[in-house]
Amino acid sequence: MKSHFEHLIDLTKGDINRNIFSDPETFELELERIFAKCWLLLGHESMLPKVNDFFTTYMGRDPVIVTRKADGTIGCYLNMCRHRGNRVCRADSGNARAFSCPFHGWTFSNDGRLSNVPGFKEIYLEKLDIEAHGLVPVAKIASYKGLLFATFDNNAPTLEDYLGDMAWYLDMILDRREGGIEFLPGTHKWLVHTNWKFPVDNFIGDSYHGPVSHKSAWVSGFEGMPLRKSGYGYEGFQVNPGGGHGFGTRWAANKEEVFEMSLPEFRDYEKMRLDESIQRLGELRGLHFSPMHASIFPNVSLLWQGGAIRVWHPKGPKLTEAWGWVFVDKAAPDDYKREKGLHMLQRHGTSGTWEADDVDNWVQCHSSSEGYVARRYPQNLEMGLGDEITDPSSIHPDIRGKLGRFQSEINQRGFYRHWAKMMDDATAPSVPDMSRKACS
Amino acid sequence: MDMGLWFRVQAFLTHEARLMDDQHLEEWVALFSDDVRYWMPLVTNRTGRDQGKEISTYGQVAHFDENKTSLSNRVRRLDTGMAWSETPPSRTRHLVTNVEVMELMDEGVVRIRSNFLIYRSHLEYDLEIFGGYREDYLRPQGDSWLICRRDIILDQSVVTQKNLGIFF
Repeated sequence: MKSHFEHLIDLTKGDINRNIFSDPETFELELERIFAKCWLLLGHESMLPKVNDFFTTYMGRDPVIVTRKADGTIGCYLNMCRHRGNRVCRADSGNARAFSCPFHGWTFSNDGRLSNVPGFKEIYLEKLDIEAHGLVPVAKIASYKGLLFATFDNNAPTLEDYLGDMAWYLDMILDRREGGIEFLPGTHKWLVHTNWKFPVDNFIGDSYHGPVSHKSAWVSGFEGMPLRKSGYGYEGFQVNPGGGHGFGTRWAANKEEVFEMSLPEFRDYEKMRLDESIQRLGELRGLHFSPMHASIFPNVSLLWQGGAIRVWHPKGPKLTEAWGWVFVDKAAPDDYKREKGLHMLQRHGTSGTWEADDVDNWVQCHSSSEGYVARRYPQNLEMGLGDEITDPSSIHPDIRGKLGRFQSEINQRGFYRHWAKMMDDATAPSVPDMSRKACS
Repeated sequence: MDMGLWFRVQAFLTHEARLMDDQHLEEWVALFSDDVRYWMPLVTNRTGRDQGKEISTYGQVAHFDENKTSLSNRVRRLDTGMAWSETPPSRTRHLVTNVEVMELMDEGVVRIRSNFLIYRSHLEYDLEIFGGYREDYLRPQGDSWLICRRDIILDQSVVTQKNLGIFF
């Protein structure tokens, strides 16, 4: 007997039931079975350079504060006073040792401890269990080569196990140069009226839409890297390392082809850094793979050479808040970093000449799937079904995971397969225990 | 106060706004100098000691950071007929008010401020009213001006509409 969500996804045909994008009950269940269990991206360590730096973000729909504590480690806590639930921090970022609730003055230090309660003696008669009323911490927080993730589930695997072979591929960004990457300061934040899964599955494996969706940007001076060709079927692959993650990449046979795929303004930098990357990562990850787009399950996407990384915060079945950053090699010169920032904001993000055309597609895909009749017809994600590259090692012995042709929907199918598996797992997330000791 | 100057600045901005709303964008972009800096910084929420840092500094990631070439390219993109997110184009109504001549600078350059409310309607239900202000540097050109620098402060931290696909 098929389970509740697995039957909504028919991977033998590539059929996806449209209900999963609009049903409110499905969304509420996603908050529990996906967002309260998975490792979610907080940002990058470079966003907290100094002790007591903080920024606020979301894990699923839960607001959190991410802090650089006095001991230099990073903490992440629910941005929620343990009295009546007010937000204790209303700033996007800053530097503070403690957060005071503007309601009754409960104060929490930036390691989560409840450090002051006005009237603790006179009014609470010292009965309030201080230790049980600190800010709720995440269950686990970890950094993969600077990229910060956290989860509310004590039973979650380690971050490395969660990322699996996707971590090995992410080294193409995080470890291609000495010192890794940094995020440039500044976050693009904007609201999109669509279900969070649309943008994620667009970035995970859709290299089919570029020539149509983004044509206007390509021909008006806003080309992207790696350079696209017109037409379809050119050399490249969709790589599916499992775990719901995936990415698409062009293939470069040699160094000259890498340089051909770069924009003129970045070519000198590519020539300068390529040998170091090959030496650090080997030929497959350092030379042959020129990755384009990716998503990390559940809601992180990136453009490898565009230098864009974003989180799609789920706000409702029809509402997503997009947050985007620019990332660069730390070792890169300042003028390269500046150029990368400009490159990104003109193509992606709030005024992006590429992003705008994507967003309207997602919004309209969603809004056409809200009717009774429309929802009786599945979405078609069959591209490349049965035409997977059965022996990836014939392409290169080091390839990990499954491989599809450059335009194929193998990664979208992989994403929904993993999504359905998690949605059918009724094991409750094991969130941190904040229960009180008995009143004495 | 030089009322004549104020009036001419006001008329210039009104004309500029109509070019945007009537979608005469090639004429609009011609109002900017070849060395223009067109910039809309990010705006954030700050409290306590961090107040005063709400607006990002020039050179950091921004909403817009354009020179004449990229601004012209943005207009070119809309002319391709394939800019699907602006097909059909947004309906805009730029209301420009609170015009002030702030400073008379060297070589006849005038620094001005103006507030804007931009009513933007797209497709069926995509509706926003963007509010903010602009600080412009106008350089004399014949009996008019070229805008050689525009700083646009949008009064939003999270942009509540799907894109900033219009001009400010």
